Parts: sequence; structure tokens; C-alpha cells
Amino acid sequence: MKISYRWLKEWVTLDIDAEQVAERFTLAGLEVDDVSPVAPPLNGVVVGEILTAEPHPDADRLRVCTVAGDEQVRTIVCGAPNARVGLKAPLATLGTVLPGGLKIKPAKLRGVRSEGMLCSEPELGLGEESGGLLELPADAPTGQALSDYLGLDDQVLDIDLTPNRADCLSVRGLARELAALTGASLTQRPVEPVEPAIDDRPTIRLEAPADCPRYIGRIVRGVNVAAATPGWMVEALRRSGIRSLGPIVDVTNFVLLELGQPMHAFDLATLTGDIVVRRARKGEPLQLLDGRDIALDDDMLVIADEQKPLALGGVMGGLPSAVSDETRDILLESAWFDPRVIAGRARRLGLATESAHRFERGVDPALQREAIERATALIIEIAGGQPGPVEEALSASDLPVQATVRLRLDRLNRLLGAELDGATVERILLGLGMSVERDGDDFLVQAPSARRDIAIEVDLIEEVARVYGYDRLPTRRPGGGLSIEVASERRLPELTLRTQLIARGFQEILTWSFVGEDTLKQLGLLDGAQPLANPLSRDMAVLRTSLLPGLLDTAGSNLRRQHPDFRLFETGVCFHQGKDGFTESRRLGLLMTGLGEGEHFSARPRALDFFDLKGEVEQLISLNACEGEFSFERSDLPWLHPGQGATLLCDGNPVGWLGQLHPLLLDQLDWPQTAYVAELDLAMLTRRRLPQAAPSSRFPQVRRDISFVIDETVPASEILALVHASGGELLHRAAIFDEYRGQGVAADCRSLSISLILRHISRTLSDTEIEEAVQAVLASLRSRYDIKMRG
Amino acid sequence: MTTVSPEGLLEQALEQVQQATNEASLDEVRVAYLGKKGALTGLLKQLGQLPPETRREAGQAVNRCKQALETAIEARHETLHRQAIEARLRAEQVDITMPGRTLPSGGPHPVHRALDRILAIFGQLGFNVATGPEVEDDHYNFGALNFPEHHPARAMHDTFYLPDGRVLRTHTSPVQIRVMESSEPPVRIVAPGRVFRSDSDQTHTPQFHQVEGLLVDRDVSFADLKGLLSEFVNAFFEESLEVRLRPSYFPFTEPSAEVDVRWRNEDGSPGRWLEVLGCGIVHPNVLANCGIDPEEYTGYAFGLGVERFAMLRYRVNDLRLFFENDLNFLGQFR
Repeated sequence: MKISYRWLKEWVTLDIDAEQVAERFTLAGLEVDDVSPVAPPLNGVVVGEILTAEPHPDADRLRVCTVAGDEQVRTIVCGAPNARVGLKAPLATLGTVLPGGLKIKPAKLRGVRSEGMLCSEPELGLGEESGGLLELPADAPTGQALSDYLGLDDQVLDIDLTPNRADCLSVRGLARELAALTGASLTQRPVEPVEPAIDDRPTIRLEAPADCPRYIGRIVRGVNVAAATPGWMVEALRRSGIRSLGPIVDVTNFVLLELGQPMHAFDLATLTGDIVVRRARKGEPLQLLDGRDIALDDDMLVIADEQKPLALGGVMGGLPSAVSDETRDILLESAWFDPRVIAGRARRLGLATESAHRFERGVDPALQREAIERATALIIEIAGGQPGPVEEALSASDLPVQATVRLRLDRLNRLLGAELDGATVERILLGLGMSVERDGDDFLVQAPSARRDIAIEVDLIEEVARVYGYDRLPTRRPGGGLSIEVASERRLPELTLRTQLIARGFQEILTWSFVGEDTLKQLGLLDGAQPLANPLSRDMAVLRTSLLPGLLDTAGSNLRRQHPDFRLFETGVCFHQGKDGFTESRRLGLLMTGLGEGEHFSARPRALDFFDLKGEVEQLISLNACEGEFSFERSDLPWLHPGQGATLLCDGNPVGWLGQLHPLLLDQLDWPQTAYVAELDLAMLTRRRLPQAAPSSRFPQVRRDISFVIDETVPASEILALVHASGGELLHRAAIFDEYRGQGVAADCRSLSISLILRHISRTLSDTEIEEAVQAVLASLRSRYDIKMRG
Repeated sequence: MTTVSPEGLLEQALEQVQQATNEASLDEVRVAYLGKKGALTGLLKQLGQLPPETRREAGQAVNRCKQALETAIEARHETLHRQAIEARLRAEQVDITMPGRTLPSGGPHPVHRALDRILAIFGQLGFNVATGPEVEDDHYNFGALNFPEHHPARAMHDTFYLPDGRVLRTHTSPVQIRVMESSEPPVRIVAPGRVFRSDSDQTHTPQFHQVEGLLVDRDVSFADLKGLLSEFVNAFFEESLEVRLRPSYFPFTEPSAEVDVRWRNEDGSPGRWLEVLGCGIVHPNVLANCGIDPEEYTGYAFGLGVERFAMLRYRVNDLRLFFENDLNFLGQFR
């Protein structure tokens, strides 16, 4: 809400300046975002009056005017289309520097001397639009400083009100608040009833009394819609960010800002029969003031006549019944709508109106009559007309009742950790306009009708704390009982895992949780993707099913930035909508591209390969002693190279995948180099074994190596499993340490060398035992495969 | 018989010792004179042939020479060995200013780096980490947190919806509810995580990270909240900064406050107030929604934006950089 400091001062006696008001509001929870002058300094700009205006002899679009206002009558050449005799307009006198930096000097324009400048609003920094010179009212005193005349020595406070403070959405509301906060006295500005001049009164039927328990209407006949809104009102509206649109609408907007009551004026001639306040029928059409045709819903409230909806109650009026240039007679509306029938409706229609903003937060239910009297008086003052009597339709039992709330002093002090005394609390409550009754140490409190946010005890505690000042309330250092609730050692903290990856050269990234459907489709990851109902854009339309899109996107942009070597990881949630319902899982994504090690002078650079990536995965599993038996299976995931892709299994269940990107995908990505990617289930990676010490052997271990040629298609994992199974209790460890293809080895075959580490827990092994164990391994290999021993 | 004098042999041997240029040739000298068949050894063997009266003196002479030679060989050996080591050291010298073998450098994301620090501080204060899902239903994200349906407070959150009405959580506050529903007070948790708002401009990204804190116990007061947050802010920034609480409104806390920190200018002078946290006393409706008696227990809650803290801590001036993942940017936060 934007409000002018001067306007505020009309309502409360202030001895603090606008900045101080802003500070006080902010520290009381009414956050002031900005305090800005209503106009730049306009020294030297005065009210000018055009005495004569003749065409320029040498320029079609220019006029040569004589203008009063400066020390003497000046000749001024002017290009504005509305420069005409008798017009009052701002005159920048010689020596003036305009807000844009232009300095006014005597100049010759097409041979005619010009001594000053007549100004438009943008030229004075007063507005964006220009229809030529700023036209001042005819009674503006010629020669008076413009900033004095327009009251431009003023500031606008832009207040970001929280939704609970509807009572502050008006000048009077803010003034009340300021009075409570500073102790300043409110200026009493009672509204006098306007005596009816005619008998015409509307007939109003409340067909939805719970939604609208009070509807006040008043007819004013013979208004002059062509009357000019006075400058002070136009300025007041402008400073609150509202444009002047004609006297009737200006008055309703002014009362909205002044008192906080949204009002509406109908063109009486467009109405047929009674005014009916009712729920809309589903699909019922209405053309809104902004020209849009909408279909109403049955949870919306309308103001209708006998035939048709006229306005969307509390939100926006309709165009056909609106005040226009032809309007003579009007029906003024001042009503109270229940927030529940307003809330969300404007938003649903894509509307944001001052009226809906107030009604959905809660307007003072006791304000309607005062507001309509105030508006009537202003309309008659500005546009003339004869008012009828005020007609009120009321369903008193549906009006909200202001609760009496018990406030316990002890509760207040315990909750705040403070020791406020009863007198202080009482003074604060009274200052806020509450009625207060003592009951022992308790207070029975009733808030003024404008405070729709006071319903329970803690609402009052907050009020007391707020007005007393949060900064004055005590502060207690953290303490309290100690408690031990340590995370299980069987769970690896994600931080540890991330630190390990960082130490191994991986850069952590954080990518979007939403991706484009097309991206997922391209990768073959669309299955189970959950779309958003209201995405920001096409490429952020579905929830990610994998970390892969983010990794690829990041890698792609960094490759384009000419980073050739990097490793990335991300930990985060992926989403999957499947037959078994919706699941979220935390995953770890890895991407490596470029060289196997950093480039070094000592050796030729080596490109990364599958085993670099696999090594990282194995390293994580072994370093953290992840729970379970892990194995790798060849995978045919569509985004992976079919020859270099694997699924990671934990106790036989898939828990991740890894491999080189598919060359076809690389083509589509248009990357200069390949990358190795993996995605692992974080729950699996962070479930670790708790070490349980076993006796370790103190006797020497023996190493024997075996080498043999075997069919290429037999997977190493299978061979090793067999070796382990046949090695007996003496075989401590077996590992493949060499692979060879080529000379001396048949095509389609490879030679593998395996080291066998043998030992016994309680004795030194004899040569015979060792030999027997090795032979047992070889025998089982021979019996399963066609192997040929090598030296 | 021509007799060779031990002194003569010694002189000859000493010359050869000096000429020996490596340990092997020195050893040859040793064998030639002192070995089993060596010349000096030979003299000793010949002693028996001497008349008994000269034998003793001759023996002493030979032994003197042997000892002298051994000493010389030892010394020469020492020298040669030292020379050999020196030669090796010279040969093995590298330019230690050449670079070492490394992996590419990894690093944490700055947002996670700040988050780790935040969690470490609250961890020291005894807050346990709790987590919850990123897709929530209306109840957890709004209803149980005292956001009435259609209430304008909901408009404070630009919400992403799923077609079935569920939402991407707009804050990590739902974790409060989940924890309170499933455990008894005292509760002392922090809930970190991703949150989502359908808003994207220079100062908003559609996803960001929050840490929600909750403490529920007997006699928890606003004074405790003030103390906790100002200690936290000072711990995080490692500076004694002015902290103020300013009244605000959140449906799930009352009284509610925004926490401002008085930032310092580069020159150390007091600068602007910056909003860094939202907090308040847990609203009695929220406690009651979770089956906790608000008369018996009270609590406080706070929520902070991790990106905000990371921006201030590491002087990042554009929020959007965090999700661009430019390695040039990220590489600065190791």
C-alpha cells in the first residue's frame, strides 16, 4: 500500500518525519519497502498562464506563446498540441534545471527567441504518460511555485502489509496504528450524514445473507460526470498509485484509500428492478469493467438486478452497468462481504483489484454507512446531484461478532520470557483501541471492529509484544536440557560421501528438479515422469526422474565454455510415478569427462575409460563398507553405450547404473568428446556395515599366480566367483592382475592372470597344502571352461 | 731370497688406494693386499721362515702396515661412498617447481557448503536433522500449518501444483508437522531441503534451499528464540553482528518475526539491515493439529534461506549463479 506522508499527517498529529514514520512502522511489523519523494525538486517551476498563442512563422508544429508567471511576461516557443490561450501549465523559468538534467536557458527556436519552457508531466518527473502540457486547474494561482501549489513537498511510503493487517489498508487505519505506536493523537474527522434531497431509494434483496450480511445502497440523481476532479484528490490518488478516471470513480477510490471501504457506483439507468445479492449460477456470463467476458462459478457472489449479474461482488464491477460519460443518475454501493466468498476468486480469474484485496483480508464490518455518507458528500461537492436516503439491507445475525478474548498476564510473560506488568499491557491494549476489562490478573479484551485478526489469546500477546517492541523484550542465551540423539553409525552421513567425492576430483553441482518432457524423451527417461500442473516453462514441465538430464546439461554448457576435463556429481531427489504409486528417491549422479588423470609432463595423457568410472563406484562402496553383496551386470539402458554400460546390483537388486554415454546420444548433444555417467541409489550408498573385528592371521601369507587362456565371452566376475568357491578356506583373496590379447593367444580368447593369496589363521602353510589349493582352483576352472594354461 | 718389505708393500698399496675411483676397484686393492692370498697376508704367512729373534719384530711391522692399510681403505671407502651418493643425488635431482600429478580439483557447491555449516552449528546446539518429501499434500504444506483454504496467506507462496492437487513443498515447514505427529516433545530438529516457488526473476529462482528449525518443550519463550538466532547468526558469520527481530506474519507462528542483520560495509562501518530469517512462537493451532497440548508445551520455529546465507557469506551478488553450475564460478568455493 502506497500512502503519502502528508495525507497521513491530516489524520494524526505527527512530530516525526517520513523516514521516522517508516522506521516505526517497520519495527512494528508494517514493513516499509520504500520512502520516496512524490516529485523531484522543482525549484524554478511555477504555475504559468498562456496569454497568447500564435503559430510560429517558420514551423508548422510550433507555437509562439506569451506566458505569465515569471517575473515578467515571457515569450515561449512551445510544441505541445494542447498549448492554447488561457491554459494554466507548469512553467520552467530561466535557470531551472529539470529532473532530466535539462537547464533552461534563453534559446532561439527557428529564429524566435524563447525564454523558458512549458512542461509536461514526464518532463517534471511526475508521470510516465504525456498528452502534452500538464493542464492545471483554471484557479491555480499564476506565478505560485508548482511544488507549493501541488503540495509536492511530500513523500510516499510504500508499505508491504502482511495479510493479517487488513485494518491498515487505509489512511485512517495507518493513522490509528501510528497513534498506537507513537502515542500521537488521532485527528477526529467525523463524517456528517448527508440529508436526502429526494425520496428515491433502491430495493435490495439479500439472497446470500451469509456471504453478504450488509448491503447499503443510495441513489444520487443528476450528477455531472464531466466535472473535474479537484487537484488535491487527483494528487492524493496519484500518490497511492491510482489514476484519475472521472469524478465518481475517483471518489469511490478516494474513500477506499481514506477509510478502507471498497465501494462501487452503478449507472442507475442500466439497472432493471431490484438489486439482488446472490450466488452466481454456474456459467452465467458477465462482462467485467476491464472488458473481459467471463463465465461465473457458483461459488462466486454477484450483485444482480432482476435480469442479470451487474458486478462480481467485492471483486470488480461489470462494464454494461458502469458509470460512463452518459451517466446522469447513479446507485452507490457500500457493502460487507465475507472474506470466504471473496478469497481466491480474483486470483482464479487472473484479477488483482484493490477491492478484492481488502475484502479477502477482511474489511471493518461497521464501516459501510460512514463510507457511503462520506462518498455522497464528496460526489455532491464535486459533481453535484441530489442524494436519496441511505437504504440498508442487513442480516445482523450473519455479521461477524468481535470475540471477547481472555488474556492471562502470566501466560503472556511466560511465552515472551518477559516480566511486563499489568499496567503496561493494559496501556498498550487501550492504545490499540481495544476495550479492556480486568478480571484478576487477566484481561478481557475486545478489539475494535476493524481488527479482524484478533480472535485468540496469542493474537493479543503478539500485539502487546509488537507495540512494546521486540527489541525491548529479553533475550536468553541458548541453554536447556542436554539430550543425546546420535545418528546411527550404520548410516554414512551424506556429507562424508560428498567430501570423499570432492577429494577424488568431483565438483558438486545443484541442478533443477524440473526438466523438459522432450529432454526426458530424448534420453529414454520419460517413463514415470510426473508433470506439473502449472510449470514455469516447457523445459521445466515435469519432475526429474533421474539426475542425468542435469548432469548432461551442466556438462554440455561447461564443455562449450571450453573446460575439457572435469568430474561432476549431484545428490538429490528424483521422482517417479509408477504402478505402485509415487516415489521419491535420493540419488547420487556422477559424470566424468576428459583425461584419466590430470595432464602431466611425465606421461602421455590418457583418456578416461569405463574402468575409471567403475573404479570410482567400487571405491565408494568399499571405502564406506556399504552393506550388501555388490555385483555388476551388463546393461542395455538406452542412454549408455551397449558395450560399456552396467547395472549395479546390491544383493541382486538393481541400485544404480554406470557407463559411457551412447555415441548416438553424443551426436544429438553435439559434444566434442564422450563422458562416463553413473547414477546410484543414495540409500544403498549410505547404509554401511558396522565393523566387527575377526581374528587376523599372524602367519605368513603366500602368493601364487596362475595364467590361462580362456574364451573372451566368459565374464571375469564369473571366473573370480568360481576361483573363490574352489579355493577353500586357505584362499584369502584372489584378483585379476593381467589381461592379454594378441600374439600367442587365439582370436576370441584372452589370457588372464590371477593372483591367489593363501594363508591359514593358525599355522604356516606347507608347500603341499599350497600346491593342493592351487590345483583345486585350476581343476575347477578346467572342469567348467576350456582353458589353456600359460607359463 | 728377495724379501719384500711390508713398508714397501704399504706404500705401493696406499698409492693404489688413492687411485681407486670406485668401491669395486678399492675392494680389488683390499683383496690384493689383505685378502687370503694378498701380499701382506703372504708376508705374515712367511714369518715362520724367519729366525725366531727377528720374527716378532717383523710380525709387528707387518701388522702395523696391515692396520695402516685397512684404515686407509676405510677412509677411501668412506670418501668413495660419499662421492657415489653425491653423484646419485646429482643425477636424481628434479625441478621441484614442476607441477605434481593431480586429479581435476573437485569442490562443494556453495549452497551446500553454507548448508553444511548451518547444520553443523545447529548440530552443536543439539538440533537433529529431520527430512521430508519434496512433493507434499495440501495438509502438510498448508492446512496443518494453519493456512486456511483460500486464505491470502497462501498467495504469499507461489505454489507449483501437480495435476492431482499435491504441491511441490513451498517451504520445509511441513517437516515440523511430520516430526510433531510422529514424536513426543521435547522436539529439537532442523529440516534442510529443497523448496519450490513458481517465481523466476533476478532475485527469485523457482527452487531454493531452506532450513527449518523447530524446538518444542515446556516453557520455551520468545526470549529463547531471540537468543538462539542471534547466537546462530554470529556463529555463522564469525562476527558479532547486530541482530534485530521485527514483527511479521506467518500463519504457523505467533508472535512472528523477521530477523534482520546489520551488515557491515567493506570499511567496517555499520551498513544496511538485511533480512535473513523468519521465525516465531509456534501457533497453538499448529501444536493442536499435531496432538500437542499448547497449554503444556510451547515452541519456536524458524526458517532460513540457504542461498541468502551463501550469498552474504561468500559475497555472491546474483542468486541465479547458483543454478547455472558454471565451473568457473563453482571452482571458487573449494
